[in-house]
Amino acid sequence: MIRNASSFSMGEDGDLARRWYIPAEIESLRNLFPFVLVINLVSFWLFILREDFDSAFSASMQFLVSAILLFMLKKLDRGKRFIRDGVIGISGLILLLSILQFLSGPQITIDIWMMLWSSIPALWVILSVSKPVVTLWASGKQTVHSAELGLSRNRKIKRFHGMILRHIALLHAVAFVVLPILWILDVALSPGNSLGGGFFEIITMEHFSNILSSDSFWVWARNSVIVSIGTTMLGLALAIPAGYAFSRFRFRGRDYAMFSFLLVQMFPGVIILVPYFLVMKALGLLNSSLGLILAYSVTALPLCVWMLKGFFDTVPKELEEAALVDGCSQNQVFWRIILPLSIPAVAVTALFSFLAAWNEFLLALTFNTSEDMYTLPVGLASLISSTGQAWGDFAAASLLVSLPVVILFIAFQRFLIEGLSAGGVKG
Amino acid sequence: MKKYLVIFALVIFCLPPMVEASEATQLEADGDAGYRKVGLNWLMNSPVEANTTLEIWMNESSFSDTIDATKHSMIRVGNVSGLQQPGFGEWYDDCSYEMGDGAYLPVYRDSYGVAVVPQGTIGVNCTLTGLPSGIEIHLAVLTIDADENSILSSSIASTSIVNDVETVVIETSPYIFAIGSIALSMIALLFVLRWMDNRDGRNTSRSAHFYIAPAILALSVLTFYPVLYGIWLSFTNADQSHLGEQSFIGLNNFLTVISTSGFFRVTVFTLVWSVVNVAAHIGFGLILAMALNSSELKGRSVYRTALLLPWAIPSYISVLVWRGLYEPAGALNDFLGTNLNLLADANGARIVVILVNIWLGIPFMMMSISGALQALPKDMYEAAEVDGIDAFSRFRFLTLPNLRSALIPLSLLGFIWTFNMFNVIYLMTDGGPNLDFDGPGSTDILITYVYDVAFRDGAYGVAAAWSVVIFLMLVAFSWTYMKKTNATEAVS
Repeated sequence: MIRNASSFSMGEDGDLARRWYIPAEIESLRNLFPFVLVINLVSFWLFILREDFDSAFSASMQFLVSAILLFMLKKLDRGKRFIRDGVIGISGLILLLSILQFLSGPQITIDIWMMLWSSIPALWVILSVSKPVVTLWASGKQTVHSAELGLSRNRKIKRFHGMILRHIALLHAVAFVVLPILWILDVALSPGNSLGGGFFEIITMEHFSNILSSDSFWVWARNSVIVSIGTTMLGLALAIPAGYAFSRFRFRGRDYAMFSFLLVQMFPGVIILVPYFLVMKALGLLNSSLGLILAYSVTALPLCVWMLKGFFDTVPKELEEAALVDGCSQNQVFWRIILPLSIPAVAVTALFSFLAAWNEFLLALTFNTSEDMYTLPVGLASLISSTGQAWGDFAAASLLVSLPVVILFIAFQRFLIEGLSAGGVKG
Repeated sequence: MKKYLVIFALVIFCLPPMVEASEATQLEADGDAGYRKVGLNWLMNSPVEANTTLEIWMNESSFSDTIDATKHSMIRVGNVSGLQQPGFGEWYDDCSYEMGDGAYLPVYRDSYGVAVVPQGTIGVNCTLTGLPSGIEIHLAVLTIDADENSILSSSIASTSIVNDVETVVIETSPYIFAIGSIALSMIALLFVLRWMDNRDGRNTSRSAHFYIAPAILALSVLTFYPVLYGIWLSFTNADQSHLGEQSFIGLNNFLTVISTSGFFRVTVFTLVWSVVNVAAHIGFGLILAMALNSSELKGRSVYRTALLLPWAIPSYISVLVWRGLYEPAGALNDFLGTNLNLLADANGARIVVILVNIWLGIPFMMMSISGALQALPKDMYEAAEVDGIDAFSRFRFLTLPNLRSALIPLSLLGFIWTFNMFNVIYLMTDGGPNLDFDGPGSTDILITYVYDVAFRDGAYGVAAAWSVVIFLMLVAFSWTYMKKTNATEAVS
């Protein structure tokens, strides 16, 4: 018996199942096609930018047909077999159109991507709509039993489709992230300073040897190492005792002091930049490593203090109390018990302030203007100035500089992110 | 002799057809006119007519077309009646003119501060401020007459290496005195606090004040002192030439800030920049965090590591790499099969800098939101799934409301960071295109413009006033944001 979708029979569980059942394939397609439409629009716009108006026209046709397909998918329901046949026909048309368009135009990577985004969904529609389950559903001859089976089958399929969706989204994001990195690798390995051209056609190490044999690179690296290590040492020397005191002691002025650390973290650096520069200038600390070390260790101080306080809070108090009972002095407790226990946290904080100093650009640019006091960030940026654009050398140098940093970051990502969120978001 | 004649004939032959505009000739430049200042004088080959514009263009290498150069300043030729004739020392283009009698008079200024000279001017003498030091600068004058005919002076003046030696020596002792007194008063304060604690018999805190002393001292000397000093600076006329002997000038700097020609534009762009960036960071971060938030996902750690890369790579490197990608010859055009030069177009450059900053900021938001997502109770979702709630409704009615408490502080933090993001714009475009010397460029945000005001023009007092204005804007915004979000929370 074919029931009208709008009729509602109370009490019959089986009929409810039939009413509720929509194959998961159809629902997934209904969710997928808006994205297809967006990508169609993107490709239309891209063809306009290329001034390839024929392709733009066919892209707009594809958009139109996909929109019709989406509309039909929304209308597709139990007992509407003719719509199902129409859906299959139209997807076949899209498939044909996209292949024709791909064959007619220039075939670079992005064209393949666009072709895949129009043909695979169409193919997917054909495959899933012609499945026996869907055919049965669309013909309206589904039995109660098969609808119940279908409902339980839907859950599995939905999960599977969800996974595919996740992979698609993540793959796109990864491509967006990785392409510039691949490109810079290509520039570093290609001869000359060309920015475009074929990917990894000719491979040469000339830029790496240029950079490694240039004096200025080593001078910048030396400055950066001095500044970063100095910042780490000074920053830790200031932050460890303060973090410990905030975590363990209740003393007069504690709340005000903690609040002032918070306040500083919220300060935009800009309000400090100009007076900082003038103070450093008056003290004769411009064009020196010491000026940068002082500035960096204080800028990183609030976050370091909060990170360390967060860690000290997790060290059990009983340890200290036992040591105090056994006759240790407060200082001994700190040096002999707490500090050795907190080496991991101290290491993470050290890494954090090292990375911050290693990557900082604005203060280094402002304070150290003579070339022999440049740090790596300013030095590398000076390779791409308006006087000369040594892209190849810059690419090689930036790979050399960022590789160790990236490895450190990835290796310690969990701790760094935990520490940062403890210091930055909670604080 | 014949050879010279031939060359002469060739030169005559090659001369461009006569245009109406008079050309600037005999350019002479001098790189030693002061700290990052260049002197430039020239003669016009005929007295300039009304409604002509003279533009000074500069570049670090010689050029024969303004496409390769940067405009420094312009002088209008026109009616000067009713205009002020202020003196020297206040403008980034201090110019004087003469009308054939050898007497140089300071130029007039219209209401926008643009230099105006009367028609019939023959010679101009300028001191140009804010030039890159340590290199030679090449300068040329472009004449544009009333009919838009333009002629670039065929003689290009090159300076000696631009002076980088400060003429002003700052007295160190006041700073030492200020720092010393701040340090001493902090030490005294800590001692008093400790004494009070001792008096009250608080045992655990006997050494607490010693533990925090180094950090507190460093913070007060190296952060609070500069902040206060900066606020004081914003009320003074401190600049390249009045440093150390600056005097109080009230709110004049703030008036200068508000009457800057691009004040409104740069503020609006800064807001657009921040809001679009933060929205995109949170939007994409949320999508990616939810995509990653499944223990069944294959290759999850690979994905996560790859997506962390923009955070792990030093930001200045990523920005420069993106700049290379967007160059006309860069890989982006190869990749898209297009022929774009986005960085040369104002709106294109705005879109580009925002895109690059979106790329940079997503990982932080993704990881923060990931942490918040993992803290959400799993059984809530299981219950919803059993009840047949579809994925979108689960997101809308379960995930979003529960993430609210994490998203509000995150978005505020992101806003403050983005508002003050210097690297992206400085390294991508340096505020350009359409970079002018008397206002912010097309892609300048507030902080990059402050940097220009302070370190290109040397106007420290004005830059400090800008900083205070920026800070007040941030405080006002954060305050209203907190109020609004709290208010809606109370209602719901």
